[in-house]
Amino acid sequence: MIIQTAEIKGLKLSGRVAAKPLAAAFAARAALTVFLLISILAQALSGHTAAVGGDGEAAEAAFTVDARDAMERTGDEELRGTISLSGAWALYPMVVKWAEEFRKIHPGVRLDVQAGGAGKGIADALSGMVDIGMVSRDIHPEETARGAIALAVTKDGVVPTASRRNPYLKDLLRMGIGRSAFEGIFVTGRMKTWNDVLRNGARKEVHVFTRSDACGAAETWAAFLGKKQEDLLGIAVYGDPGLADAVIRDPLAVGFNNINFAYDAGTLKPVEGLVVIPVDLNGNGILDPGEKFYGSRDEITAAIERGAYPSPPARELYFVTKGKPVRPVVRKFLAWVLKEGQGFVREAGYIPLSAEKLKVSF
Amino acid sequence: MRFRAPKNSFKAEKKANKALSHIAVNNIDRPDPQKTQKKRLVKDLAARRFMFGLTLLPGFLVFLILFGLLWKARAILAVKPLGRLLLSTTWKPSQGEFGMLPFLAGTLAVTVVAMVIAAPISLLAAVYLAEYAPRRMRNAVRPLIDLLAGLPSVVYGVWGVLMVVPLVERASRLFGTSSSGYSILAGGIVLAIMVFPTIIHVSLEVFSSVSRDLRDAALSLGATRWEVAKKVVLRKSSQGIVAAVVLGLSRAFGETMAVLMVVGNIPRVPKSLFDPGYPLPALLANNYGEMMSVPLYDSALMLAALVLLVVVLAFNVAARLFLSRVERRAT
Amino acid sequence: MRTPSGIRTNGNGRLSLLGRQSPSWWRRRKAQEVIFKALMIFSLLLVVGCLALIVATIVWKGLPALKLSMIFQTPRGGYYLGKEGGILNAILGSLYLAGGATLLALLLSLPIVLYLNIYAGRNSRTAEFIRFSFDVLWGVPSIVYGAFGFLLMAFIGLRTSLLAGMITVAMLELPIMSRAMDEVVRLVSRDLTDAAYSLGATRFETAVKVVVRQTLPGILTAVLIAFGRGIGDAASVLFTAGFTDRVPTSLLQPAATLPLAIFFQLGTPFPEVRERAYASAAVLTILILAISLISRAAVRRYSRHTIR
Repeated sequence: MIIQTAEIKGLKLSGRVAAKPLAAAFAARAALTVFLLISILAQALSGHTAAVGGDGEAAEAAFTVDARDAMERTGDEELRGTISLSGAWALYPMVVKWAEEFRKIHPGVRLDVQAGGAGKGIADALSGMVDIGMVSRDIHPEETARGAIALAVTKDGVVPTASRRNPYLKDLLRMGIGRSAFEGIFVTGRMKTWNDVLRNGARKEVHVFTRSDACGAAETWAAFLGKKQEDLLGIAVYGDPGLADAVIRDPLAVGFNNINFAYDAGTLKPVEGLVVIPVDLNGNGILDPGEKFYGSRDEITAAIERGAYPSPPARELYFVTKGKPVRPVVRKFLAWVLKEGQGFVREAGYIPLSAEKLKVSF
Repeated sequence: MRFRAPKNSFKAEKKANKALSHIAVNNIDRPDPQKTQKKRLVKDLAARRFMFGLTLLPGFLVFLILFGLLWKARAILAVKPLGRLLLSTTWKPSQGEFGMLPFLAGTLAVTVVAMVIAAPISLLAAVYLAEYAPRRMRNAVRPLIDLLAGLPSVVYGVWGVLMVVPLVERASRLFGTSSSGYSILAGGIVLAIMVFPTIIHVSLEVFSSVSRDLRDAALSLGATRWEVAKKVVLRKSSQGIVAAVVLGLSRAFGETMAVLMVVGNIPRVPKSLFDPGYPLPALLANNYGEMMSVPLYDSALMLAALVLLVVVLAFNVAARLFLSRVERRAT
Repeated sequence: MRTPSGIRTNGNGRLSLLGRQSPSWWRRRKAQEVIFKALMIFSLLLVVGCLALIVATIVWKGLPALKLSMIFQTPRGGYYLGKEGGILNAILGSLYLAGGATLLALLLSLPIVLYLNIYAGRNSRTAEFIRFSFDVLWGVPSIVYGAFGFLLMAFIGLRTSLLAGMITVAMLELPIMSRAMDEVVRLVSRDLTDAAYSLGATRFETAVKVVVRQTLPGILTAVLIAFGRGIGDAASVLFTAGFTDRVPTSLLQPAATLPLAIFFQLGTPFPEVRERAYASAAVLTILILAISLISRAAVRRYSRHTIR
């Protein structure tokens, strides 16, 4: 540049222009660009991690706190910040409801809720990607070893399902299926035809369906049968709705679903085309009046609450955090969920926890 | 070659000359060609070095991915011998059984079915588009094919569950077996449809590179259009076709979501087209979230990903060897 | 010498018409032509028909839910439970993410492809190796990219964010874009580059001023294909980009993407929301089609400067 203007002005530079200054200029420009990029990146990342203040328990928390949280204050009125949650589908409707209600009291708090499965919830919580993981199964010891702490927040259940077009529907609804028969269907494979299950001479086979994704529902159903998800037989379909659809379409199918997926949220009756298989709890081969509570969502949730429907397949749903939660927003939210939040549980189709379970201090 | 000069080049040049004319009185005042030359050379060298650095990145990335997967998989490789892992058919992670044979078999089965369906159909369609179709049809169909490539795989999966699974179920009844429809065949069909655009697109590019002269020569000797296609175009572009098919194969190996929704996901070696299967990517997608939980499971899944990568690598190497042999025979 | 029309030379090198031209031979060739033409048309119809079927299914199932409010509103709380709102967050998030990722991939692909074709020699081992790497990277499943991206993020200390998603999708798009570009740049005739060199241009100048200009339509097509793949992929963004109900305003915020929005809407227990999933898929399809058409127009415009 300097050289050119010098020439244009009519000056002739004596001597040769070495290539070196040009290369140096180019290199300098490149270095400057790289330096700028690195500094921008460093700034972004450093603005991202702020010192975690708080009490002595802060040592356990390995969170990176968002710069937005710098505005947090601990007073009730001025509670502000963002809480991010991700995880099980089973908890999703409940958490969305809680988020709505919590925002009414603390408008400065934002809750980012994401579904994606219980496994994702744990993975995200343990890696610090979200504040709270929503998990619909019991956490494994290995997860506890990595610092996972589970807080039971509500309860729901898994119910066995069949198609409304099942040719033996009457017998099915009259007799129900017992636990050992379910074991024969889902685990050992002994029960191959509907005759094995219902003893009514039916020649047709039982088509078993389960979940392909590692999920709380399958784990819970397997726990009811004394096993783990990987021991369940059957065509594995992806997702709760996928499984429900597969069962609806196949008249000879047997599957299972979360209560919220088996019952329509509007009508509170089982989803169109789906039938909830009554569980013959005392194994006497017929459904006693005390075992008939599958007609509507309210009936089954009431049954779970009074303990008539066993746990498993009813199960507690957890919020999982990595170490004890430190951020005041998160702590306030969790405290609220365990107290006022329980008031919204029934209308969302879940089961409130019993009093002793709620006595958690953290 | 038709040369089209950029517009207004003459006028621009005149304008520039006029602007400089008051500065450059005589030759001495024009920029010294020597210096500009050096500057251009330096630019060239710097650009070359920079681009070379960038070029090494993909190779570096492959190594990084391979190394990363291997690193995460070493936990399980320390506990179980690789042979046992690859050949055992029991998959019960909570009991420490990590036999991957069913997944390998499932992957191969689904991919082979998909390629058997996709390759002939795509090639025939591409030949038609390249040789027979009028230009308007070709220009109308090409964006449609690209659209097929752009559809998200979730959509393919859902459509597969809606349409392909019941179809396969009905077909299985015709063949005497009873299948739920969630099967290798369903997976293969969905995968084939996803692979169509890849093969067609690359084939079309390859066909268009065959010069018109060759085609015209064959036609002038009395060949029918199909014979021209078969004996001239396909033969000349056979390398490119193999490349297109291999590309489609790679895509088929790696496709995850759509296949997992229709394939049945039972970890058993499939014995027939109507049996359910469990390809490797489906294993990863279904269980990814659990990885953090059971450490051996975590590294087993990473080993599965590594195995998949090695399979893809192997196919690519084989294809390249085959291609180079074809090339050597041709020259 | 055998020609299709049946003229042959006999042993003495003289042309002669032999029994090759029997009527059955002509008929056989004609039959072949007709059969294969039918097969080809059938194949083409099959391919286009599948596309039509899929699009029709999406539209049919999504039509009840397809409203203007879906495109222009972000989801209100409880959107995935049936309340109002739209997917504006996912539309914009996807556009930002795929746009940024495509840009990143372009910044990397173009120099690489230019190097491979202009600087590297005919039998360069490096070029062979890098092309092979691209083929291998092409075959890596998108979920492995997602897993790798997740590991990278955890390593750097990045949270789920637009930036992390961009990097992961850029890695996914890189082999696609590079391969497509490579195909086009390879085809630049040697005459053109030789002419440039003979006029004293350096290789860099040839690359930038001649080759790029000549292959601009092809490059745009490559960018389009990669963009289409990037915007439609769910597995790679599932663990890296996060999800949120808001439109991201910074690179470090989580971003919603259309494939994930479709995925989540499909997974809810509410059939109305599942309908919305199909509508979202329709929106995504229309988006891809629109971008395809725009870039085709752009390609045609830039083709004016290419030398045929």
